[in-house]
Amino acid sequence: MWILILCLILVVIITKIKENHHNIERCVDGKNFYETVDETIKREKSQKVIRYVISYSFLIFFALFMLLPFYWMIITSLKTEAEISLLRPTFFPKEFAWENYKYVLSAKYQWESSGKIGSFDDFQARFDLWRYMYNTLVVGVISTIGTLVTTVMAAFAFSRIKFPGREFLFTLFLATMMVPGEMMVITNYITVTKTAKDIFGITGIDSYWAMIVPFLISVYYIYLLRQNFRQIPNELYYAAKVDGTSDLKYLIKIMVPIAMPTLITITILKLMGSWNAYVWPMMITRSADKRLITTGLRLGFSDSEGRSVQGRQMAAAAVVTAPLLIMFVLLRKYIMRGVSRSGIKG
Amino acid sequence: MDIRLVNLTRIFADKNSEVRAVDNLDITIPSGKLIGLLGPSGCGKSTTLYMIAGLLEPSSGQIFFGDEDVTTLSPEKRGIGLVFQNYALYPHMTVKQNIMFPLQNMKLPKAEILQRTVKYAKLVGIEELLNRKPKQLSGGQQQRVAIARALVKEPRVLLLDEPLSNLDARLRLQTREEIKRIQRETGITTVFVTHDQEEAMSISDEIVVMKLGVEQQRGNPQEVYDQPVNQFVAKFLGTPPINIFSGKIQNGDLYVGEEKIGTSTLEDQEVTIGIRPEGFEIDPDAQMTVVVKQVEYIGRDKSIVATNPASEKENFRIIIDANVEVKEGETVKVAVKPNKCFVFDKLTEKRVQ
Amino acid sequence: MVEGKKSINFLKGMLCLLPAIVLLGIFTFYPIVNTFLMSFKEGYNYLITNEKNFESWGFGNYVKLFSEGNNFPKYLINTMVIVFVSVPVSITLSLLIAVALNSIKPLQRFLQTIFFLPYVTNTIAIGMVFSVMFESHQGLMNTLITSLGGSSINWLGGNTQAVLIGEGIFTHPFFNAQWFTSMIVLLAYIVWNSLPFKVLILLSSLQSIDKQYYQAAQIDGTTKARTFMRITVPLLSPQIFYLLITSFIGAFKEYTSVVAIFGDNAQSVGQKNNMATVVWYIYQKTKEQSLSGYPQTSLAAAGAVILFIIIMIFTAINSYVSKKKVHY
Repeated sequence: MWILILCLILVVIITKIKENHHNIERCVDGKNFYETVDETIKREKSQKVIRYVISYSFLIFFALFMLLPFYWMIITSLKTEAEISLLRPTFFPKEFAWENYKYVLSAKYQWESSGKIGSFDDFQARFDLWRYMYNTLVVGVISTIGTLVTTVMAAFAFSRIKFPGREFLFTLFLATMMVPGEMMVITNYITVTKTAKDIFGITGIDSYWAMIVPFLISVYYIYLLRQNFRQIPNELYYAAKVDGTSDLKYLIKIMVPIAMPTLITITILKLMGSWNAYVWPMMITRSADKRLITTGLRLGFSDSEGRSVQGRQMAAAAVVTAPLLIMFVLLRKYIMRGVSRSGIKG
Repeated sequence: MDIRLVNLTRIFADKNSEVRAVDNLDITIPSGKLIGLLGPSGCGKSTTLYMIAGLLEPSSGQIFFGDEDVTTLSPEKRGIGLVFQNYALYPHMTVKQNIMFPLQNMKLPKAEILQRTVKYAKLVGIEELLNRKPKQLSGGQQQRVAIARALVKEPRVLLLDEPLSNLDARLRLQTREEIKRIQRETGITTVFVTHDQEEAMSISDEIVVMKLGVEQQRGNPQEVYDQPVNQFVAKFLGTPPINIFSGKIQNGDLYVGEEKIGTSTLEDQEVTIGIRPEGFEIDPDAQMTVVVKQVEYIGRDKSIVATNPASEKENFRIIIDANVEVKEGETVKVAVKPNKCFVFDKLTEKRVQ
Repeated sequence: MVEGKKSINFLKGMLCLLPAIVLLGIFTFYPIVNTFLMSFKEGYNYLITNEKNFESWGFGNYVKLFSEGNNFPKYLINTMVIVFVSVPVSITLSLLIAVALNSIKPLQRFLQTIFFLPYVTNTIAIGMVFSVMFESHQGLMNTLITSLGGSSINWLGGNTQAVLIGEGIFTHPFFNAQWFTSMIVLLAYIVWNSLPFKVLILLSSLQSIDKQYYQAAQIDGTTKARTFMRITVPLLSPQIFYLLITSFIGAFKEYTSVVAIFGDNAQSVGQKNNMATVVWYIYQKTKEQSLSGYPQTSLAAAGAVILFIIIMIFTAINSYVSKKKVHY
């Protein structure tokens, strides 16, 4: 942080000095050209070099700052417990220890390494990766499919069906984006834990449905898709009408394929969102069996335990991070598009 | 102050290929003149302009402003004003701020900045628009602001990149007169770049026709039009363009196909013949036969689409006086005016007569 | 547009919007109204059904938030510190990075990817990495510092041997030196986390600025610094303004980064909730019940309404300023 601030100040100072330098030079004869042409060229060359050196060292410094956590995560996860507890941490593992990964990837191994107390079926794993992944996938896939359906329907209504009150309703939808989600969370917590029990006799605690249903709709995605639908020319619709295509068929056969890139972006962002979901799942899960990947990660390792679990903790963090990075590498185009349009994370 | 380009060359290279955008250009631009660099897109004219401006560095060769070698001097030290094709007016500044901007860089006293801003705004005729933003101006007005911004520094050279290409036809006519007037009034050496031959011919004191980075011909516009050095220049200047025929010289006579149109002092050979549309006359005694396919009335002239087997293209165009009677479908004999007819070497395309 | 009878279209439209309206009705519109009302219910207990489950209407919950013994004002200050440090720092930094990236050629794409990398990561996972890196015994940061000749800093609390920076300056029992060092770690993480998005937005808008503006400025002999201040920044102002609004809102709602580094109780070792934010308080009070088994949701609701109002005021100020300063 200090280095960060220092660097900032340095950059400002350098630009200031350069500016002053420039001013002095101009003042000497009031207008222009007091150096010979050769001198000017020489000075400009060296200025250019200085500028490049500053640019690159600045960028490389911050690129390292960006990469450092990833680096530290990976090397720590590959260290043995003995190496981690050294007084001076090593910057590269002396030997690669895969034990940490074995540990986070297998609940069975966790049971074995904890001394096989009780039967495996009763064993409460510290970090049951595959269980969490299964939960996350169930929640993620269902809520993504549901969101796509509601989004397509709503966007179609808002872009292609002309009915009274449409603009008002759309504005009302958009207005909710201004309200911080925390306002909703409080009441939704009561709704799924208490009201649902009163009315339907079911509780949302430790249930998949409570993690899915509130997230089957997104005003922002409706907005994105509506913009996309509106760009499709009306002539296409009239042509389809002349051919006797029904509205539904038009929507499925023409509009959806045209808007496919946006739908893919929505799918990716939504899945990433489920993977990273923390606040809501944390609120409504009590039993370890129903944890999603991120809540499982946080609850599996608490910081108060000190260094003994650091290697395993970092291995778990790496395992949680890896699918996101793979997804990023494969689907860069769609992610970047979604991001530069939105600003919504996941 | 004149500008001299000496063996100026610029090569753009990427992984696989190398393009000589400007190739050994040698031009002297006389002081106080308005010079048009003319050529089709990709002929290196903009590259040349940018090298004069200092925005691009030449691969080899030199640029002199007067006696001073400015080849590697950075743009701001050269004392030039440049008007960009799309004007590059800063959209967040008012017209006034735009014009003042270069002067503020020079750290001039405030009073002088204001006085000069107003002076040049008046010169280009935009003094009422000083508080508007560029977006609120028409294309022609933006153009004038750009010129004012370039001139306000009182540069040694004014450079204009395709100054009229973003204007509609009516504004174009008006603006090109305006540019000429401003140049006359300030007497500044001016170079501009265009692909529109009409534009170049109408305002330049001198034009330079370029092709693939090589200068083809230089001279005052009428001279270049009347005496093109090669087929390219002949084709490039003039609307409608010159008509090209295959022909020959035999025993001192000049033939289009097998039809005699004139005489020649050259020895017998196959040649290419270029005849300007206005170079024909209907003359029953002439030898060249053309079939009239279509007649268009264009005011004081009549434009005829005609065919002849020797023509390079299927159809060619003849422009004659409106009161000459011609019918569509008719076959007529035409004579060729010698000063509108150019003979080119078949291979080198150089003009031989 | 679907033409046709209005009533039929209305039905069609409603049919298509049915799922959206039902879901938003239950999980968005109703909660907004309900939470707002709840914040004014004194002695509210949602667990009681079928009878009057609160004592009276009033501002009691708001008064409670700011009364003696409630830590909410401290969490509000924490939040403000996060907002007013992390937003300017990250925007300035990302602007400098974007400009630097835009000015270089070799390695540009490579560095661009590196700067985007943190965007796709899991906030909790990397937060845990940060807490390991800033470990107060011999974490990475302390090792770097000691190898440069400094002494270990007690970043996240607990270690009595490491030094606390800011001792003597931060003497308040809550905002003490431990608070200060922990806040530095938190801010570093928040900045790290928020840089990629900003760099991406700024870089792509920088790349779309017409080069001719810079050529024109160069011909006019504009210095680099002046070009940056008078041309680049104004031309980027819509994006900067957009980032300002979104990151102000994001920083006001900071929560996940806090629990990622400092755990569910948002505290450095040996301290009590010293890194808690407004949103942390809201969530805590939503789940928590008082000693007598009474739910605290009304307090949470009051906190959420205050957050909402603060965000609204900020957005309004921002918009007002932007009307004067931002060029569109």
